[in-house]
Amino acid sequence: MRASWSGTLGTIREINGEYGQGGGMTPELTLDGTDFESRAISPLQELGAYEALWDEPKTTFKTLAEKFAARPGAVPSDFVPAEKARERAAFVQEKFRSAEITRFGVRVHGAGDYPEKLRDAAHPIELLYYQGWWDLAASRCVAVVGTRKPSPDGIARTRRLVRELVKDNFTVVSGLAAGVDTAVHETTIACDGRTIAVIGTPLSHAYPRENAELQRRIARDFLLISQVPLRRYEAQDYRMNRLFFPERNVTMSALTEATIIVEAGETSGTLIQARAALQQGRKLLILDSCFRNPSISWPQKFADKGAIRVMDYDDIRQQLSPQTH
Amino acid sequence: MTSASSFPLRLTKIDDLARPDHFYLTAADDCYFLGEYTARKGFAFSATNRLILNFKKTMDRRGRSEWVWKDRALQQAAAAFRNALNSDYLDVATLVPVPPSKAKTDPLYDDRMTRMLRAIRPQPPLDVREIILQTQSSNPVHGQAVRPRPDEIVARYQIDPSNLLPVPRTIAICDDVLTTGAHYRAAHTVLQQAFPGVRLIGLFIARRVPEAVDFSDFDELP
Repeated sequence: MRASWSGTLGTIREINGEYGQGGGMTPELTLDGTDFESRAISPLQELGAYEALWDEPKTTFKTLAEKFAARPGAVPSDFVPAEKARERAAFVQEKFRSAEITRFGVRVHGAGDYPEKLRDAAHPIELLYYQGWWDLAASRCVAVVGTRKPSPDGIARTRRLVRELVKDNFTVVSGLAAGVDTAVHETTIACDGRTIAVIGTPLSHAYPRENAELQRRIARDFLLISQVPLRRYEAQDYRMNRLFFPERNVTMSALTEATIIVEAGETSGTLIQARAALQQGRKLLILDSCFRNPSISWPQKFADKGAIRVMDYDDIRQQLSPQTH
Repeated sequence: MTSASSFPLRLTKIDDLARPDHFYLTAADDCYFLGEYTARKGFAFSATNRLILNFKKTMDRRGRSEWVWKDRALQQAAAAFRNALNSDYLDVATLVPVPPSKAKTDPLYDDRMTRMLRAIRPQPPLDVREIILQTQSSNPVHGQAVRPRPDEIVARYQIDPSNLLPVPRTIAICDDVLTTGAHYRAAHTVLQQAFPGVRLIGLFIARRVPEAVDFSDFDELP
């Protein structure tokens, strides 16, 4: 229940509920976020509103991006009743608690320190969840991605590459999938580097399951990022949830200055990230070994569109930003 | 690539998600901030870092060419609050700066918060009142081995009796960076005693966020 505060403060309203109805005491006045100042936001409330926006089955990252593009300056709570947003936020808090996620945060476009580089995505995300150390997102980040079923050579190349990147003080980003991604995160951690995982599940889920422990480790010591709405994810069929994986590759590309592809098949999801990188004006580096594989044609196709064929780590380093701080 | 960050123009409430970063804040505290300041990361790290580090330049640098950046940061913060705060609220609110760490008699005394708050809206003037006085200089928090607790800070605070009237209708306690929340809690305590029943909120240019590389700051927490 809300009532106007019978003072001169016409714009400040009383929110009852938690505080207001105690017997006899002066009701505590809470400044409503939409009234007290022009547009203060509560990240928790935004999270709830974001989840609620996914109630509509037709919602995709594309439709959401269009919705927000049509109303510059809007945040999720502008589209969702406050009560609904609170309810959804409580749902997520409860689910995360039972998954033993005690600390997490969100980034909201239009408030706080949302990374502007994410706006380079074709359908930029309005909100993301994270666990861990957010400052890693502002460091020099390079994504290393590839197939879930790499060859022994592919794994060896991944490890060599990651060691060099860590030596050069890059934060190494990947998607926590099986295969190349897992090798990227494990190697980075093993040589005392910094890593970020951009995952295609909510923070409280791990895929593949074998990576649950690695995911916990990254959440605790590094940075774990997800754009996947929890309630929608849990409500819908796993086949629909598969669509979240390529979406996270688009975000991973936007978050990083370059994507390096170690090894990937002709239909690999990795190629989604390759396309996104070029679209977003990020560098796309493809290891020479991919070009030498006669059974695939994608390396040359991407090279024709601006990807860079790299022969060795010196080649890669020349394409990356120098250390500034 | 677009620039890494810009200084946020809307306020964010400290809710369940951010509160654990600020040891002394409770769910009853109503606090808002604009940007996130990442300690020890330097100017280049983010727009908020740049603003805060310029804003906090110490008074002994006055007269140097870098001084202009302090004034610019002050104006930038004022403009951000002007944009973020409802003018109806500004008409009736009393803005109380958390007192600077140096006493007024100290050559390093810096009234940057008061000046910034006045610059939010020069005309008609806002009710910016230095109601809380610091009785003795203290070292800035980051120079101390152990951070002070709110009750220790309260012991150093004094209410300025000449500044109590008119009784505020609603108060915003204002500070540049929210760290543990100890200074906010101390200011809240003394203002609540002075003006029982008057609503109090906290306004901060930035909140200090944890960062991955150096954990020493957390070791200082009790």
